[in-house]
Order: sequence, then C-alpha cells, then structure tokens
Amino acid sequence: MSAAATTHDHSHGADHAHDHHEPGFIGKYIFSSDHKVIGIQYAMSGLLFLLFGFFLMLLMRWSIAFPGQPVPGLAFMENLPFVGDIFHQMIGRWAPNGVVNGELYNMLGAMHGTIMVFLGIVPLGFAGFVNFVMPLQIGTIDMAFPRLNMWSFWLFFISGVMMLASFFVGTGSVQTGWTMYSPLASTTTLAVTNIWMHGHTWWLLAMVFNISASLLGSVNVITTVINLRARGMSWMRMPFFCWAMFVTAFLLLLAFPPLEVAALLQLVDRVFGASFFLPTGLIEGGQHLDIAGGGSPLLYQHLFWFLAHPEVYVLILPAFAILTEVIPANTRRPLWGYKSMVYAALTLGFLSFLVWAHHMYLTGMGTMMSTYFQITTVLISVPSVILLTGLMISLWGGSIRFTPQMLFASAFLPMFGIGGLTGLPLAFIFIDLALHDTYYVIGHFHYVVAPGTIFALFAGVYHWFPKATGRIMSDKLGKLHFWPSLLGMNLVFAPMFIQGMGGFHRRWYDGGAIFEQTSGVSNFWTELNSNLFGFFGMEVPNNLLGLNVLMSVGAFILALGQVPFILNVFLSIKGGKKVASDNPWNCTTLEWATPTPPPHGNFTFEPVAVRGPYEYSAPGIDQDFFPQWESEPGKAATAPASSSAAVAHH
Amino acid sequence: MADSPEEIQKSIRKYLWIGGILIFFTVVTVGLSYVELPTHGLNILVGMIVATFKAALVALIFMHLNHERILIYKVLAFTTVFCLALFLLFIFSASDPLVFEGF
Amino acid sequence: MDIPYTVSARPDTGLYNAKVGIWLFLASEVMLFGGLFSSYIFLRVGADYHWPVHELNVFLGFVNTLVLIASSVTVVMAWASLKLRQIGKFKLYMAITVLCAAIFMVNKAFEYKAKFEHYAVKLTDGTFLTGHLPQGYEIKFGDVSEVSVLIAGENKAVDGEPLKHFVPRVEGDLPAFKMTDGSSITLDQSGFTTLKEATLKAAREKLEEDRKKRREEGEALIEAGNIAAGKAKLDEAERMNIVPDTTIKLKPEQPVTVKVKPSQIFSYTANSLTFKDGTTLTGKLLDDSMVLEVDGVDTRSVPDAEKSLAWKSGLLGEPWKKAFIANRDHHLNAFEEKHGDRRDPKKSATLQKEAFFLKIKSATPDARDDAHGSSKSAAASAPADSHADTGHHGHHPVVHVDRKDIAFYSNYTPKLNTYYAIYFTLTGLHGLHVVAGAIVLFYFLVFDGRRLRENPEHLANRVEVGGLFWHFVDLVWIFLFPLLYLL
Repeated sequence: MSAAATTHDHSHGADHAHDHHEPGFIGKYIFSSDHKVIGIQYAMSGLLFLLFGFFLMLLMRWSIAFPGQPVPGLAFMENLPFVGDIFHQMIGRWAPNGVVNGELYNMLGAMHGTIMVFLGIVPLGFAGFVNFVMPLQIGTIDMAFPRLNMWSFWLFFISGVMMLASFFVGTGSVQTGWTMYSPLASTTTLAVTNIWMHGHTWWLLAMVFNISASLLGSVNVITTVINLRARGMSWMRMPFFCWAMFVTAFLLLLAFPPLEVAALLQLVDRVFGASFFLPTGLIEGGQHLDIAGGGSPLLYQHLFWFLAHPEVYVLILPAFAILTEVIPANTRRPLWGYKSMVYAALTLGFLSFLVWAHHMYLTGMGTMMSTYFQITTVLISVPSVILLTGLMISLWGGSIRFTPQMLFASAFLPMFGIGGLTGLPLAFIFIDLALHDTYYVIGHFHYVVAPGTIFALFAGVYHWFPKATGRIMSDKLGKLHFWPSLLGMNLVFAPMFIQGMGGFHRRWYDGGAIFEQTSGVSNFWTELNSNLFGFFGMEVPNNLLGLNVLMSVGAFILALGQVPFILNVFLSIKGGKKVASDNPWNCTTLEWATPTPPPHGNFTFEPVAVRGPYEYSAPGIDQDFFPQWESEPGKAATAPASSSAAVAHH
Repeated sequence: MADSPEEIQKSIRKYLWIGGILIFFTVVTVGLSYVELPTHGLNILVGMIVATFKAALVALIFMHLNHERILIYKVLAFTTVFCLALFLLFIFSASDPLVFEGF
Repeated sequence: MDIPYTVSARPDTGLYNAKVGIWLFLASEVMLFGGLFSSYIFLRVGADYHWPVHELNVFLGFVNTLVLIASSVTVVMAWASLKLRQIGKFKLYMAITVLCAAIFMVNKAFEYKAKFEHYAVKLTDGTFLTGHLPQGYEIKFGDVSEVSVLIAGENKAVDGEPLKHFVPRVEGDLPAFKMTDGSSITLDQSGFTTLKEATLKAAREKLEEDRKKRREEGEALIEAGNIAAGKAKLDEAERMNIVPDTTIKLKPEQPVTVKVKPSQIFSYTANSLTFKDGTTLTGKLLDDSMVLEVDGVDTRSVPDAEKSLAWKSGLLGEPWKKAFIANRDHHLNAFEEKHGDRRDPKKSATLQKEAFFLKIKSATPDARDDAHGSSKSAAASAPADSHADTGHHGHHPVVHVDRKDIAFYSNYTPKLNTYYAIYFTLTGLHGLHVVAGAIVLFYFLVFDGRRLRENPEHLANRVEVGGLFWHFVDLVWIFLFPLLYLL
C-alpha cells in the first residue's frame, strides 16, 4: 500500500525480477517505451520549444515597438564563439545591421505560431501530461502500445528538428503566417535552385511528421483509457483529467487528418506545380503564373480550419484537465459538478468540429451558412462556460492553500474568462467583419492560450513535479515566477484589444509606424504613452502606437519572470525539498498511490478504484481526503480473488 | 461473437460468395458508366450507389462490422458525422444552396 | 510485466487492445481520405474546364480492382485459416495477398509511366493539342556574349552553381572565359571552386574592411571628444553582419550555344536566359518551338471550333479541319436522330467529347481509319497540302508549335489540371497504403514464425488487425475506381 511504500530513488524495475533484461541508459532514458519517461521527454521538449517560440516573439515585439532600430544583444550573440555562427545562420543573416526587416519578421511570426501551437503547447500540455499522469490515474502499468508511444515521441522529435532546420536552409523559414494561406503560400519564393531545399517544403514535411506523431499518440491514449482502466475504475469514477485528455485525443485523431491533406496538397502545389489552391488566371508580380489554375484558395482555408478550430480545444482542454486536479487538491473541496463537466467536455469536443468557418466570415460565404456557423459558435460557448463555472464554484467554501500551482490556477480563471468573453463578439459576423485580422483577435486568443493554457501548464508542472522527481519545487521561486508572469501577460495582451479596436492590422512588422493614427487627441492613453516614451527618452509618435512600447515592456517583464521558473526546475531536481510521503499534496487520485518516482510498472500493488475521484473533506472520516484506492482511510482496497479480469499482476 | 471454429468454418463460404458479388458489381459499374443516362449527374449517382453497396459489403462482412462491439460503432458514428460535415459544409459554404425564405 | 489484453479481449469492452487501436486508426484514415474526397468534390464542382471522363486506362483500373478484391478475400481467408489452425492454408492465402499487392503496384507503375510521357499543349485560344514529344522540348539559345554568375555572400535561396545548370547544357566544347580584369578561366570543377572561394574571400574582406574603417572613424570621433557619435559608429561596426553578394561577369572566348528544357530554367526572354541558380546568359533566342506528335485535338473550350488555332497552316491545317468537321457533324447528327429535341446536345458531356475532341490515329486524314464513312469522303476531297509531317511511327501527324502560340503545356502530371492533381494525389496516397499494408502482412507471414508456433491466437489477432487495414485500403479503392476512371 502506498502510504507505507518507501520512496524509491532510481530503483526502476527493482521489484520486477522477471524483467528479462534491464535496459541500459539509452534504453531507459532515450529510446524508452516507458510512459513516464516519454511523458517527461515530451514535456521537456515542449518547454524548450515554448522558450524558443517566446524568444522569437521577443524579437517581433522589439521590431513592433522600435521599428528600424537594431535589436540590442543581437550583435553580441553573433560574436559569441560557436553559438554565434549558428545564431547568425538562423536569425542574424536576415537582419542587416541588426534590424528586424519585413522578411525576418514574417519568418518570426509564422514560426512563433507554429512552434507555440504544434511544438510547444500540444506536446507539453497534451502529450507530456497525458503520458505521465493518465496511465497512473487509471491504474495501469503502461500505455496500450508502448513501442508506438516511443515512435510517437521520436516522430515528434524529427518534426521539431526539421522545423528548426528550416531556419538554416537557403531560403530561411516560412514567411506566410502560421496559417500558410494559399495562394500566397503556394507561390512565395518558388525561385530556388532546388525546391526541396526550401524552408516552406521543410515546414510542410515537418507537419506531416508532427501529425503522424500525434496520430500515434492519440490512438494510444484512447485505447489505454478504453481498455486498460484498473478494476473498479468505471467511466464515471475516472478523474476529469482523463476525461478531458480522452476528448482531446479524439480531437487530435479526427481533426488532424484534414490538415495533413492540406499540407500534402500544398506540397504537391509547390513541388509538382499543381493548382489545388490556385485559381485560374492568377497573376503575381504582373506576370501570369505558369500554372493550369482551376483550383480554389477557399479549399485550403476549409481544410486548414477544420483542424485549426478543434485545435483550439486541443490547447484548452488539457488546461482544464490539469486544473481539475490542482484546484480540488488545493481547496480541499470536491470538484463541483463533475458529471456536468464531463458532459460539457464531450459536447465541446463534438461541437468543435462543426464551427470552423467562423474563421472565414470574410471569404464571402452565403448568409445561410454564415448564420449556421454563427449559431454553432455561440452554442459552443455554453459548454466552455460550464467548465469554467465548475472550476470557479469549486473554490467556494474551500480552505485554499496558495501554493504556486494554486496561484497559477486561480489566475487562470479570470484570464481565461477574459479570453473567452472577448471571443464572443468575434462570433458575430457584423463585428467580426470589422475586427478580423486586427490585434483584437490576437489579444483574444492569446488571453485564451497564454495566461490561460500556459498558466495551467505551469500549475501542472508544479503539481506533478514531486511525483516525477521526489522533490518539491521551491515555493519562493514559484511565487517569484508567478507575479511577474501575471503582470507581464496582462501588459502584453490587454492593450491589444484597444489597438485592435483602433484598427491595427495583425501583420505590420513595424507595428503600424506607417499607419498614422488620429493625432492631436489627448486622453489617458496618450498621456501614458508620452510618459512612457519620455521615460525611454523618445518622442511620442502618435496615439495608439505608444501602446506598442508598453506591450514590449510587458514582454520583457514576462521574459524576466521565466528566469525563476527555469532555475526552479533545474535546482529542484537535485536540491528541492524531499517529499515526506508518496502523496505530498494529500490527493485522492491513483497517481499518488505509486512509489515516488514511480518505477517501471508503476504500482507495488494492484490498484482498485472504490470511489469517485474527488472525495475531499468527506464527512465521517478523520482526514480531509479519501483516496480512490483506499477502502478505509490508510488501507488499500484489495481485489476480489475470483476476478479473472485483473490487471496483470506482477 | 462469431469467432468460434464452427462459425468461422461456416463463414468461409460466405467470404467467397461476397468476393464473387463484389466482382460482379465491379463489372456492373464499368458497364453502367458507358450507358448514357439523361444527365451525367445521374450516372455519378448510380455509380456511387453501387460503390457504396460494395463498400458496405466489405465493411460488414470482411471487416466484421455486422457483429462488432458497441464501442466501435460509437467511434465510427462520430467519424461519419464529422466526415459528412467535411463533405457537405465545404460545398455548402462555397455554393450556398440553402436559402432562408423567412417564416 | 505484460500489458493486459493483447491476446484476449477485455470482458467489459469485449475488445483486445490492437482492435481498439486499429479502428481508431481507421477512423483517422476515414477523415484523411474524407478530406481528399471532399477536395475532389470541391475541385470538380468548381472546375472551369471539361472534367475528364473515361480518360484513364479503364482496363488497367478494372484489373486492379479485381486484384484488390481478390486480395481482400484471401486476407480474410488467411485469418479464418489461422483461427482454425490450418497453418498451410494460412501461409498460402497470405502469400497470395502479398502477391496481389505487388501486381497492383506494377500495374500502377505502367499507368503512371504512360501519363508522364504524354503531353497536352494549350494554345492561346484554348484549344488543346495532345500527344508525345518525340524529341522532348528544348529551346536553343545562342550567341552568348556574357555569362553572369551570382555568388551569394550568405547562404541564400539562389546560389550560383553554373557547373550543375549552365555548363551541362552547352552544345559542343566549352570555351575558356574572360573575366572583367582580363584574366582567363575555365569553368570546370577546380576553376569554379577557386573562383568562388576567391570571390567569397574578397567579399568577406570587404566587409571586414568596412567594419574596420567604421571602427577607426568611431575611435577618431571619440578621441575628438564626440563620444556619442563615436560610440554609434562603433556599434554600427559591431552590427555589420551580412557578407554581400557578388555578381561575376564572364565573357566566352568563342560564341556559346545552349540547349535546355524550359522546365530546367527560371525564365527567358528574346535576349537573356536565367537558370535556376541565377546564372544569366546574354545572347539571342535562336529556336523556341515544340515538335509535337499529335494524337488529339480538343476544341471544347473554343467558342467556334472551326476557327481554332489548330487548323492554321503550320499546325494541323485544312485537311484535318475537314476531318474534324465531318466527325463532329456525324456525331451531332447521330445524337439528334437518337434523341430528337428531347435532349440538349450542349448538355451531354459524352457527345461534347466525341464531337469536339478529335482523336487522331493516323498521319494524314486520308489514311484515317475511321468507322464513319462520312469523314473518309471529306478527307478524300481535301488537297494534300497539309504542313504536317509524317510522324516517325507513321500514325500521328507531327507539327511544330511555335512558343508564342502556347499558353500552357504540361505532361499528364499534377501540373496539367486539378483532375490530374487529385488523381495523382489520391492514387499515390492509396498506393502508399497498399505498400505499407503489404509490408505489414509480409512481416506477419515471414518474420512472425515464433509467434505462430508459440501463440497462434496472438498472431491471429495481428492478422485480423492487418486485414482490417487491408480491407480499408480495398474500400477506398472501391470509391476511387469509379470516381477517377469511370464517372
């Protein structure tokens, strides 16, 4: 039983005498098929990519706030030994005299989006957490197909390497936004010596690898949830975490293939000269292109958004999944409305497939279809609100412990609320026509994914770090991480709404310097701007432009705020406070029943789930939590001997 | 489940029969495509009906969907709905055939 | 420590792991091919040209359909045999299945190859000439007086590689070249490498020199007391980070002529030609016409077929026009006799194809072996003044199509139109699935012997799962065949 089980350090497989061969270092940590190792691999690569994508964003923000001025530190980076050359090949060679020009800005924008979404949040939020936590929570020894799981990670790894490598090929990386809209994306810089050595081709191939990886991963997750649940772990005893991940896996499984189609067709367009997405009579640079035509740019947008809308929920559902574990554990209250949240998540998943064209109101759809998409879009806000409300009410009457994970979780709620509510106006055609492609949209979805999802992911890291390493992350550094992050996030993203409503287009590389806003108007913002600009010893260019500086300052505060986190992760692995028991947060779900860190094979006893997942502060017992696996406090439930459907006993 | 040896023994004959039917309907499809119906759209419709029938045979008999577990049906039902969305909504939003006449 | 339910089914779901997995995978595949079929519908509905019907080799497609159906039967029989532990039969059926896959792919290869060798040329008025290019299509560019090679200072999209692009296309011997400073150079491996290295070195030195200059200026300014301006100069020097490109101009000592396929170059005009590596020749365009062995004239997109460019002298000429008119009238009359006023001839795609897409199977209209007597008489009355030469094989007219008459041309590849684009994508992706499925089944047949002896039930599960995938591949083909070949 767990409470008495000793904390194992580096004792993988010690209990499993019948393991025929003990894998070596490579088998154990590199090409491992153990779900926990793969989860950590995914999470670490996800964090690295998030950091990299964040760095790209800093360059962009500099260019927006101070267009035409050389980026500080760029020359320094380029002059470093070894790293300098790599940096020069990647970024420097596109920045003449250290200035971010339009070309580089386009690359940064496209890659920031791609990396954050496909290589950062999904690997960390979905693949990382689901691989590490889900098999533990449902009480099994591993995923259903461990070797496929390993393949999934390595395919993802290849896609990440290819994505990064696309910076180094002759043409540099893609320049057409993370959406890669054709015809622009089908025709940009086709004039190369070898079309295969083109950043865009590499991007498309990398996406094919990425999609294959998530396909393998999601098949694995769904099969595991369906077939490998421990005895007693009925569907409605499953933690909400598993439910949300289950729905997410379905979204990945069924929504990604159309994107794969889009990528393949665009590849055929670019490499073999087809015209899937190219209309007849397309003229570029005053010349008719040498193409047959007859294709449709609209087809690309449909295929793309058929994925990209469910993708939004792929980003959000893992956040909810994590919070439904973090919040009850830190309020010591059961999750409010477990069942309604489960049904809300299922409804959300279903509806998310049927709303995509609200990203395409400007393509000239007929009124009937626009109305349909408008209705489904408004409908889908209902389950989202149920999920958020469930979490909020879970706070009610709790005795809240403000650990770092709870700080991030409680910041998530209002931040995600802002992100969600600012999305509602965009669902309506009339408003969307005005706001489409402005900073308002950027502000909206960044509020959803940045202070929303990413905060939840941080919460998850703080929450499960003790289970993975046996040590607790520093509380002080955690708080030092949280407050600047909260401040920075809001400084970056809140002004976007104002700029967006002012008509700022999302793709200006100079932040709108060419766009002379109303001048001579004096209000709160102009005052703020003049003060801020004055602080930096500069003149105020005009009204809303000044917000750019404010936002960039916010971005740099945010950057500084991540330093404690990075330190925290690395220092705590060796120097953090050791956990006193296998269940340091006094949680109720099964992952806390394993030794710490869990060995290969996870459990030292056969877990049986005897009650629901959120039995906190239950009446009638002394402790304020009643774990799923305990028949009475401190005593693990045992399986009836007659059962033949036992999880393999070892 | 029809996985007992006796059941399998019985179904072997069935598989051969289905193979024959599939080949017969392939010939029918090819033949029908050369018959000029009033519109080409009708040709496509007939061709697709035959193809769907063949596909149904493969799915039901060869892939054992005639006696599968409820879970598989659930997964496939959702897939079918989303696939239909993929077919219909794409083309509807391009050509907008649905018109609202008012109450 | 084994994962549960790999062999036996979990009681409450009634499924073993791999079966859940494969059905999920197939659901994903349904969405993949669903997306492609949806694209097919989208493109077909939006096509602004005549969607090809019965244009592919129906016989090959039909044979492939039979092959796939047969393999689908054998793979399910293999599973059943293994379930009954009839090992010999199991092996036989699996072998047949894999063999069927091989036959399918060989057929496919023949089909593809024929397409790659077949061309369609769209004339400026919309007429299509189809046929083969017995000599390929090359342009001739001569009197080259100057070759300019771009040496990229940084790793750019376009970097001069004349040895790969320009030099192999030169007719006859490659002369020596003179540089602007009067020195002579031969464009071979060592010559060009030396040139390139020297150029890059010079470009780098120039950058360093500029940098140094600026630094000295800055230091001078600081010494003079103007510290702010001096520091700015120093910063600037620090940030000078991009090696400039260099263009080298070479003059051939004797005139050079190149012959090159338009697909291998970036662009050309009457007096300059640019290769894909940026090497640009200055000279004269000598010959730019395509020799086409015509096997079809498609006038469906021309408002008045009788005024099509195809009939101008130099192309197919008057006799073929007469043959075309005779053939067209024959079909139109037959249609009217058959249907009267009940059907609009303009709405019958088949009639439009038969009447306005003339297939050419002989070198001259006189020899036209046509079943319709009317076309014969029309051809007979035509004077034999066609400019069309007799083809090499004697059954196709060979014409010289001037480049200025060509709007667009391509072989039958994805480039030709959206139909061939989706055809190649769908069948290519389907072919990949066939290959993948065959490899997996082959593995079960050959390399899974231990499992067959020790745990045949597990192998039966694997074969069932592999079989499910195989049936799905068959199922996709059941839709592909009519959609692409027949309808």
